[in-house]
Amino acid sequence: MEQAAPDPERLLQPAPLEPLSHPDTGLESVVGEGAKGARDEGPGDGTMTESNFSLKKIEISVSEAEKRTGRNAMNMQETYTAYLIETRSVEHSDGQSVLTDSLWRRYSEFELLRNYLLVYYPHIVVPPLPEKRAEFVWHKLSADNMDPDFVERRRIGLENFLLRLASHPILCRDKIFYLFLTQEGNWKETVNETGFQLKADSRLKALNATFRVKNPDKRFIELKHYSDELQSVISHLLRVRARVADRLYGVYKVHGNYGRVFSEWSAIEKEMGDGLQSAGHHMDVYASSIDDILEDEEHYADQLKEYLFYAEALRAVCRKHELMQYDLEMAAQDLASKKQQCEELATGTVRTFSLKGMTTKLFGQETPEQREARIKMLEEQIKEGEQQLKSKNLEGREFVKNAWADIERFKEQKNHDLKEALISYAVMQISMCKKGIQVWTNAKECFSKM
Amino acid sequence: MSGGPPKALPSTGPQSLRDMPHPLAGSSSEEAVGGDSTPSPDLLTARSFGDKDLILPNGGTPAGTASPASSSSLLNRLQLDDDVDGETRDLFVTVDDPKKHVCTMETYITYRITTKSTRVEFDLPEYSVRRRYQDFDWLRNKLEESQPTHLIPPLPEKFVVKGVVDRFSEEFVETRRKALDKFLKRITDHPVLSFNEHFNVFLTAKDLNAHKKQGMALLTRVGESVKHVAGGYKLRSRPLEFAAIGEYLDTFALKLGTIDRIAQRIIKEEIEYLVELREYGPVYSTWSALEGELAEPLEGVSACIGSCSAALEELTDDTTEDFLPVLREYILYSDSMKSVLKKRDHVQAEYEAKLEAVALRKEERPKVPADVEKCQDRMECFNADLKADMERWQNNKRQDFRQLLMGMADKNIQYYEKCLMAWESIIPLLQEKQEDK
Repeated sequence: MEQAAPDPERLLQPAPLEPLSHPDTGLESVVGEGAKGARDEGPGDGTMTESNFSLKKIEISVSEAEKRTGRNAMNMQETYTAYLIETRSVEHSDGQSVLTDSLWRRYSEFELLRNYLLVYYPHIVVPPLPEKRAEFVWHKLSADNMDPDFVERRRIGLENFLLRLASHPILCRDKIFYLFLTQEGNWKETVNETGFQLKADSRLKALNATFRVKNPDKRFIELKHYSDELQSVISHLLRVRARVADRLYGVYKVHGNYGRVFSEWSAIEKEMGDGLQSAGHHMDVYASSIDDILEDEEHYADQLKEYLFYAEALRAVCRKHELMQYDLEMAAQDLASKKQQCEELATGTVRTFSLKGMTTKLFGQETPEQREARIKMLEEQIKEGEQQLKSKNLEGREFVKNAWADIERFKEQKNHDLKEALISYAVMQISMCKKGIQVWTNAKECFSKM
Repeated sequence: MSGGPPKALPSTGPQSLRDMPHPLAGSSSEEAVGGDSTPSPDLLTARSFGDKDLILPNGGTPAGTASPASSSSLLNRLQLDDDVDGETRDLFVTVDDPKKHVCTMETYITYRITTKSTRVEFDLPEYSVRRRYQDFDWLRNKLEESQPTHLIPPLPEKFVVKGVVDRFSEEFVETRRKALDKFLKRITDHPVLSFNEHFNVFLTAKDLNAHKKQGMALLTRVGESVKHVAGGYKLRSRPLEFAAIGEYLDTFALKLGTIDRIAQRIIKEEIEYLVELREYGPVYSTWSALEGELAEPLEGVSACIGSCSAALEELTDDTTEDFLPVLREYILYSDSMKSVLKKRDHVQAEYEAKLEAVALRKEERPKVPADVEKCQDRMECFNADLKADMERWQNNKRQDFRQLLMGMADKNIQYYEKCLMAWESIIPLLQEKQEDK
């Protein structure tokens, strides 16, 4: 990675993709956490190993949700939901699990954890949180954050989030994450003390970089494009699915009216009465079956939503690359211009515009001593600049390497998860069809007895 | 029928009914209207009977298209019908082969009526004529006039009130054909109505219009005289059994009306559901285009949803074409029955009034005069006919609704079976491992 000559063009080339060969590739976290331990793969298997501590298997669950009232920062009363996080360590020998930690966290603390991780692991596709507010609701679903169904689905989503973290080869080792699970009091202060908010890249800076970067890695451009498209298509899918659910609900529920009218009709009939009456009952069963069916489908929607939000996490990694690349380009540009200036001063030719050149023209030439001084300063700056550029370049390549490792891991996880989601969706549909056949077969039998 | 705009019938060009060849010229069962216009294959083949029609308890079989399945179900069906012994059935009537006629003044549809009978009232063993809706309407009016003590089956509605329905669409014509076929079969099934001379003329006359103009004078037992029952007589109280019938019909019509509304609502909801599904499926395709390993599974899901959409459309079409018309027919039936009940009331009222008048006259010979006797006769016949018809009607109604509702359940089962098959077939595709793609 040594440059023969400080050639701006070559410095701007992003590192070529390195194959995900060595299992330890990508384990070198940017924060510089130490010890490597046994690493468990697979999303959601719920185990994690502690770094810097003895090797133990740990199970995490978000087991309860509770409504609380308290006072917020402005000393106003507020209602919020707190979630109980339980951590169990599993003894290898007998497989028994022992509750080691249990504490309560609210959604905002999860957000804090995630924001911290985003800053310290910009090359990682950080798992997303479940949605803050209920979106893509169909009419029967509540958009209220306090609604018990919403809280329940959120509880599951938060558990899923923690399990994703725990099964991530790099994130599982993070100390703040560990403290999140184990240290109830004072955790917020600990996080803030890391000063991560200051390290965070400003949105404005990121936006600027997106527009001005000249030569980002093509793969990141493609990835950004993909994540935009993915976001768009999943949003669309979720919106239409909600409407489909609404309509399906209507179809089933109207059939319930048959129950009532068949019952009324059976009252005036002699031989037909019984058949009608019992068929009516089956219509009622049919109408009420939709509630469970649609509740199950919400899980599918939640699985899609997770990947909708994952798309945003992908974008974040791309943005970070753009920023770093832009930074690199700026540094290279700056170095190049300084070198040029130096050269001009040394040779006496003026090719570039400089304030000094301007003032020289206006107010007269500077003394040779002054010129020497300036050249010396520039040379020092150039040396510094070259060092910086070298390290930025290195950083850039490291970033790209590590990021792509995680992106590949993410891709496999995504393909696996979404396939599972589609399978479970198909299974749900099959179950719904079978129920429908059953009900109508029963009704048909009742009709046949009319 | 699958989705798409309703198909228009092939037109036969300007033709008059008069120009049609004698039913027995050439092959009677083939229609030679308009020379070389070939009926579309759809109309010819499918217009024999589906299973459903074979289970009709009201009589009639597909003339000349008997297959083993149809004769056995014919036998099954006949065993349910008390009045008709399978061996003595001697009249078979079928309505099929709708054809469009385009004339200068108007465009209309005719249907082929095929009759097979061993009855002496028919000169020939077999007839094939063409009739249009107007002719059916004429027949019904004539039957009402000449057999006022009997329940005359209803015709499908004359005008299409709701929506923008194409009178010449295949679906509409087929629905109407079925209803007209039912109408004739119910008459065929009736021990009195089937012998009515107007019915005979309708089935056999080469030129019905000529008959219409002649205005046949028929002598039936009670017919002519009942026509002239003055409306001035008011019935004091309806006998219990007829009052019960009246109440029953009221509630019955009410419940059917409710069911009709529910069914319409279901169709509406299903159509809206279909609209959303049609947008939903393709989104999976769009997504599939973005993906690598997931492309096939996503595309598979999209196709699956497409299959379910098609199945749903079939379901709603069937409900519209088969379920609703029968409901409405029965509502019309019960309406016409209520007016027959009223006529009966008038007859009874006339008798009672005349009887009372006689009682008040205080004659030396308290003999019941002839015309009062006639009134009593009239009333008793009416009551008997009506009771017999009501019983038969109740029985037929039970069979019809049994079949109708079972059919509805069947369609729903078939819909779910189609969807089930689609989703089950996709599971292996979703579970497939990617081999070095």
